[in-house]
Amino acid sequence: MNKLENIPVQAKSDKKRTNPLARVFDELIQFCQSRSMFMLHYCTGCGAIELPPAMTSRFDMERLGIQPMVTPRQADILLVTGYVSVKTLKRVLLTYEQMQSPKYVIGICSCTVNGGMYWQSYATAKVLNEYMPVDVYIAGCMPRPEAVIAGLRRLMSNIENGKGDAWKDYYKRYDYYLGNQQHLFGDDWQTPVDVIGEAKFYGLEGEETYGEHTKILEQHQEPLEAQVMRVKL
Amino acid sequence: MRPENYQAVSLPSSNEYEIFIGPNHPGIEGNYAFKLRLDGDVVISGKADAGYLHRGFEKLMEGRLWIQNLAIVPRICVPDPVPMEVVYSLSVEAISDMEVPERGQWIRVMQLELSRVAAHLFTFGGHAATTGMYTPMFWGVADRDLALDLFEELTGGRVYHIYNIPGGVRRDIPAGFLDRLENYLDYLESRQNDYDNLLFTNQIFVKRARGIGVINKEQALEWGVTGPNLRACGLAFDVRRDDPYLIYDKLDFDIPIIDEGDALARILVRRDELFQSVRILRQIIKHLPSVKGPVRSPIPNPLAWNVPAGESYSRVESSKGELAYYTVSDGGPKPYRVHVRGPSSMHAVQVLENLAVGARIEDVAQIMFSLDACPPEVDR
Repeated sequence: MNKLENIPVQAKSDKKRTNPLARVFDELIQFCQSRSMFMLHYCTGCGAIELPPAMTSRFDMERLGIQPMVTPRQADILLVTGYVSVKTLKRVLLTYEQMQSPKYVIGICSCTVNGGMYWQSYATAKVLNEYMPVDVYIAGCMPRPEAVIAGLRRLMSNIENGKGDAWKDYYKRYDYYLGNQQHLFGDDWQTPVDVIGEAKFYGLEGEETYGEHTKILEQHQEPLEAQVMRVKL
Repeated sequence: MRPENYQAVSLPSSNEYEIFIGPNHPGIEGNYAFKLRLDGDVVISGKADAGYLHRGFEKLMEGRLWIQNLAIVPRICVPDPVPMEVVYSLSVEAISDMEVPERGQWIRVMQLELSRVAAHLFTFGGHAATTGMYTPMFWGVADRDLALDLFEELTGGRVYHIYNIPGGVRRDIPAGFLDRLENYLDYLESRQNDYDNLLFTNQIFVKRARGIGVINKEQALEWGVTGPNLRACGLAFDVRRDDPYLIYDKLDFDIPIIDEGDALARILVRRDELFQSVRILRQIIKHLPSVKGPVRSPIPNPLAWNVPAGESYSRVESSKGELAYYTVSDGGPKPYRVHVRGPSSMHAVQVLENLAVGARIEDVAQIMFSLDACPPEVDR
């Protein structure tokens, strides 16, 4: 029986496959992926008010194949709509880590870019991509529904061209993201998802996956294999 | 915490269990959580978990100039931002003894009522969606968007306008705006029958909403309920009539009252209020062309504006209830203290916790939407 590590995972290499038939197949898969996306909108802030117009009849996001989804485990896109307070950011991270790869994050509103209106607030996290990789930012306070749809189309074209791979960055540079999270939430911060185990499983470990911050994590959390790897084949 | 590290606590066997609703949940309005203790599907106790949207507004406002605060006050309540601007401007005007020209006051009332129309249309959709009816949501959002188009023409912004400033409004209305407003009001009144058939007299909705989350008069007064929720308990209190501000004493409108105090009464009061707002807007369209004069009185250099020392308490009737600002100035360029009395912090915390007891789990979302609380305003 093959070991699980030997089964080729598409995410393992960034290069295009050389076999022409396989390339056509990959492009078809990417095209289909970009045309059918389920969106989890975590209404973290004001930007959520422009999503109902964008989703309903006037601007009609559904014609692009984008529909709201209620659970993170079945969603492809995570919309972070507005400023994230520290209490919310914990929930956003839990939601993000539960989503299945490939997963995409869109930061809506200026507050996710640089703090926006609340740059001097004591309660908000200012830059979202210090804590999780972000595919597309939509700036504005607040962005109009047309801008939201333009951002989603940008994400669609990124996926179609094979550029929508910010989620790999979370595995490759996990130490960086974990360090920023620990800086905000304290050293005993941990989530139920074993990110390092997933990185090992997908073959996405980079030099920055491990570091001083993951050592702090290991002090209070036993190293654990990914759930799938413990299944005996 | 990982499941492997989790030590299960053994408790005596019982039917009780705890669940979370929110913060990321389709049956909750915005970023707000509610922890329920249940026996079967009946709620034993509920605990509100606020703070997901806390930005420290009252502290932020102490660090900015009087004029800079105008940019952040509408962000306290997202679906209904205009009352926030107006009440802040009113409180600054009260401290500095500033007069607002009459035309400016009429334009302010026009915005307030248009914003109330937009907020109520949004609420109907949300309330209906909690009972599984999604068509009212589509209709409400689409009709609200037409109001936002009017706001965009008037102020330049769809959602946040920042059009009111201390002393009046920024600029006069554009040419032909009142005609387009009248067309919109005609359209809304033509939709009244459709909305009644779809939602307000639809037995699917009425049977679901009747008798849910009943507040009686004594409880309403004790818990600090205001606005449409208070009027749905049979108490006729409206700041617009009982403590008139701007030009509301010159306008002719009714205060709709229903005695039941349940979720159905609350949404029917909002429906009646929507058409009272249409009535007010029609009076404004009639009177506004005859009111001449400037729309704002001059203010000193806004970047070096020391509002004289003093304090004021100003209140308006927003679509959620009574909204008030207590503002203190020490004569400096920035406010010394601003306290926001928002209606939602009462509705979403203490009223909801009390109403959830004894309700069934499927009705909790409906009770929450029927109170029309606004989570950003709870946390501020």
